[in-house]
Amino acid sequence: MAKGNASNYLVGIFATLFLVVLVIVAGVETKKKAEGKPEIELTGKSKECVACHEEKGVAVKQIEQWEMSKHAEYGIGCIECHEAKKGDFDAFTCPGSDILVGRYPTPHDCAQCHEQQVKEFENSKHAHQFWLLHNDDRAVLEFPVAVKHGCEQCHRIGQMWPDGSVGDCSACHARHSFKKAVARNPWTCGECHVGPDHPHIEIYLESKHGNIFLAKGKNWDLNYSTSNHEKIPLETPVCTTCHMDGTPTQPMTHNVSARLAWESQAPWSYRTVWDEEHLGTWQKKRERMKDVCSNCHAPDFIDEYFLEADLANLQYNEIRREFVRWNKKLYAEGLMSPWKTGDKLWTSPVLDGYDEVPEVKKYYAWHHEGRRFRHGAEMMGADYTQWHGIWEIQHDLIEMINWAAEHGDKEAKAWQRSTSPTKVIPYKLYDVPGNVWGINTEISKPPFVYQTFPDYWDRVKANVEAAYKHGLLSEDQWQLWLKRYEKKEYYMGTQFPEHPKWKLYKERDENDLANMRKQVIDFKLPSPSFWETMK
Amino acid sequence: MAEETTNKERRDFLGKLFFGGGLAASALAFFGAAFRFIVPKRTPPKLKEVLVAHFEELPVGKAKPMEIAGQKVFVVHLEEGYRVLSAICTHLGCIVQWQEDKQRFFCPCHKGVYDKEGKVISGPPPKPLTNFRVEVKNGLVYVWIAPKQTGGTV
Amino acid sequence: MSVFNKEWWVTRVPVDYEKVIGVIRDLVIKEPIPVHMKRWYYAMGATPLILFLLQVTTGLLLTFYYVPSPEMAYESVRHISQDVPLGYWVRGLHYWGANLMIIAVFLHMIRVFFTRAYRKPRELNWILGTMLLGATLTMGFTGYSLTYNQLSYWATTVGTNLVDQVPLIGHWLLTFMRGGETVSANTLTRFFVFHELFVPAILFILIALHIFMIHLHGVAELEGHEGEGYYPFYPDHFLKGVYVTLFLLTVMSSLAVLLPPALGQPANPAQTPLHIKPEWYFYAVYGLLKWVPIKVGVTLIMAGLIVMVFWPFIDDWFRAKWPKAPIGYAIGGAVATLTLVLTVVELLAK
Repeated sequence: MAKGNASNYLVGIFATLFLVVLVIVAGVETKKKAEGKPEIELTGKSKECVACHEEKGVAVKQIEQWEMSKHAEYGIGCIECHEAKKGDFDAFTCPGSDILVGRYPTPHDCAQCHEQQVKEFENSKHAHQFWLLHNDDRAVLEFPVAVKHGCEQCHRIGQMWPDGSVGDCSACHARHSFKKAVARNPWTCGECHVGPDHPHIEIYLESKHGNIFLAKGKNWDLNYSTSNHEKIPLETPVCTTCHMDGTPTQPMTHNVSARLAWESQAPWSYRTVWDEEHLGTWQKKRERMKDVCSNCHAPDFIDEYFLEADLANLQYNEIRREFVRWNKKLYAEGLMSPWKTGDKLWTSPVLDGYDEVPEVKKYYAWHHEGRRFRHGAEMMGADYTQWHGIWEIQHDLIEMINWAAEHGDKEAKAWQRSTSPTKVIPYKLYDVPGNVWGINTEISKPPFVYQTFPDYWDRVKANVEAAYKHGLLSEDQWQLWLKRYEKKEYYMGTQFPEHPKWKLYKERDENDLANMRKQVIDFKLPSPSFWETMK
Repeated sequence: MAEETTNKERRDFLGKLFFGGGLAASALAFFGAAFRFIVPKRTPPKLKEVLVAHFEELPVGKAKPMEIAGQKVFVVHLEEGYRVLSAICTHLGCIVQWQEDKQRFFCPCHKGVYDKEGKVISGPPPKPLTNFRVEVKNGLVYVWIAPKQTGGTV
Repeated sequence: MSVFNKEWWVTRVPVDYEKVIGVIRDLVIKEPIPVHMKRWYYAMGATPLILFLLQVTTGLLLTFYYVPSPEMAYESVRHISQDVPLGYWVRGLHYWGANLMIIAVFLHMIRVFFTRAYRKPRELNWILGTMLLGATLTMGFTGYSLTYNQLSYWATTVGTNLVDQVPLIGHWLLTFMRGGETVSANTLTRFFVFHELFVPAILFILIALHIFMIHLHGVAELEGHEGEGYYPFYPDHFLKGVYVTLFLLTVMSSLAVLLPPALGQPANPAQTPLHIKPEWYFYAVYGLLKWVPIKVGVTLIMAGLIVMVFWPFIDDWFRAKWPKAPIGYAIGGAVATLTLVLTVVELLAK
């Protein structure tokens, strides 16, 4: 009987144990968002690599990163990418072993599996090392140590390897986890597309797209595939959505040039002719971009937006024309001089002297401000088009002409003496009636040029038509322009009666100004300043 | 002697308690957990506002079928405004049909008839058709509706 | 006339209750158990049965959510593991129950082998046992494939391809198992039906026969310890079953928390992962097939199976021929060691 009792207690104990475990089970569940850990298995040499590296503590973090990768899941280990044959340019025997290892896994290695991506990349402007092809030797402006850590750090994305491959996949696909989510994160593009000369990440973040991404995107899973015509899974695009990812009607591409219609980073905005044999004309490329847009936007919005942005690109050329004209004129007049090495003139748009104010102004108005102006317009970055863009350009233009006047140029002196406000726009204009965002009934009231020149739209129309006939705008764009032109009273809001609130706002504005005057402007302090009494 | 017996009895009783109690508790916990596994998870319904029509879209006396948040509904334009009625017959859940010439809803399963406001005219339906809250803002018709709960994988 | 009255029931369900209780008493409660069975390691036989019943329970629960279609299988397993209340526990119990059941069957078999409990007149029950082993492994194989992740999908492909090598009926068997030439939606539905209906039904019948045979013969006494006495099944041996049940539930629940079954990647018929392996209980076979040509391997396995099934008779033959030499133990020991070594080698060769 005593034994029977012990058995009874044993059942009690086992039951208690089971209940405790069940409580733990329930507890764990509330905590658990179990993402089934993928099984990682290694074989052969890679296993040796990992074992030895972990034992010696060399580059262990990279192994941990690799464990998170899709590569690890598919059993692609170290040697698959780091494989080397004797005589390879980067082959070396890993210390403490007899394993021959490739120091640099290049696109040549990646292409073993990702051939299409590597090919597409090679044909993209990412791979284009334009800076080596011109005499744009930055080392003239900044010495090599600086360039190594500056320009080259980013532009190595077009690295040309001894094995014949081009590029650096890990520039975006951060090794060794190679997560799509990292490559797709806007800040990855922003690693290089940032700063005063090409603030693309800043433009994106200040656009409505980026705004929504900042507000809601923190927990978005960017680790999705678009290679099978999936629907775009995001509410708002990230960089790759428009420039690379697949859509239901278009394949994914690693050629970032496939959807761009402009060379708007160049000193002049011109319609791109890059890799036309694979990618087609600029119209074809623009069609691709519009296809992406059309996943979210209505076609008329897309066309109108691009027409306005394209006109900003064209407008930039006319401004640049002024900078170039003044620089050439000042050289011809001998008021400033270009650089020479021996008898060879430096006539690159990048360098062109650089020690005299008009030269520097020309450079800034293109390389920094001109790009901000144009790219802001194409990507909805209002502040970059306006204050970091056109405002700075105008400022530089005026400073340049003033410099010419101070140094004795007659035309510049006459310009200085002129009292017409038109003098700050010495270049020719493009425009289109209205605004893609809607009809503003009072928008046409202030613009000086609309009010002052009755033939404003005739002049503009002739310019736009010339650009169209010259192939800088498409047939559709010209037709769209004409449509807006013919209904310009509608688009500019002038055909509508004065807005019912206009009067009220005007009164309030007058009231505001009156109060400003009363509160501050007409207010004087009694004691004189010490400077005044010193005089 | 008497004390010993009591002790023994107490031990016996405790033993039985451990045995019976342990077994019962374990079985209860196991099958309780199993039951919890089977019962679908319920989350409180969340009303959301869905645009169903432009005010000018439907002439008075017309209705259009729609599927909103996994539910079949009719958007009806009456003289006094828009109505959004569930298309699910309150009798046994068939989908009712809109008969425009008779300005009524008809359920083919057991011949239930509702008027254009969803009230029962004849047949077996016990209740009028569910009437969702409608709001008209800036000429747009919105309905407040809670998505129906469906199984996670289906 | 009251429902609480015994007479009321006896009138309506006219069964001889005394007889029924008597039968139960004779069949179950008083079933004589040899005293050596008081040591737990002789009592492995009940464990597979308990695990089978637990597997039936958790398996039925999983069927509430599992959808056997290529599009939904992986997603429904994910749903069970991540969304359904206590889903990961139920799946964990089922997964670990399967593994433990296979271990328990192996252990039971090894015990029976080395105590020669299959000796005359119990040879047929050994054969039933080998059929039970086969059915259990089939459950493992079909169950694994149902999760429809990369590893299980490709293990299914490779595993069914092996069948192709079976002489004469191989290809027919392959198409029968796959429901066509390739692993497809029909393979999955087939495996589902095998796993949740046919094989469990076969298991159930075999287990019933197995136990019935034990009852007919009585539980075997230990060789050389005959006549040491018996004790009744109830309560002591029955209680052992209760402990084992509670103990197993505790262990399996803990394992479900600590080592939950992996979800893996959704099956992708277009891409074979670089390293695929079957479940651990097929490692020995898998390891063998790496070393020998496939035809030889499959033939070897089939020969081995035949020897295993008819072992009691073969053993008798050995004993008759060489009464002194422990040939049976030598062969059994060699096979067990080889299986263990191959399994461990494969386990470590990660």
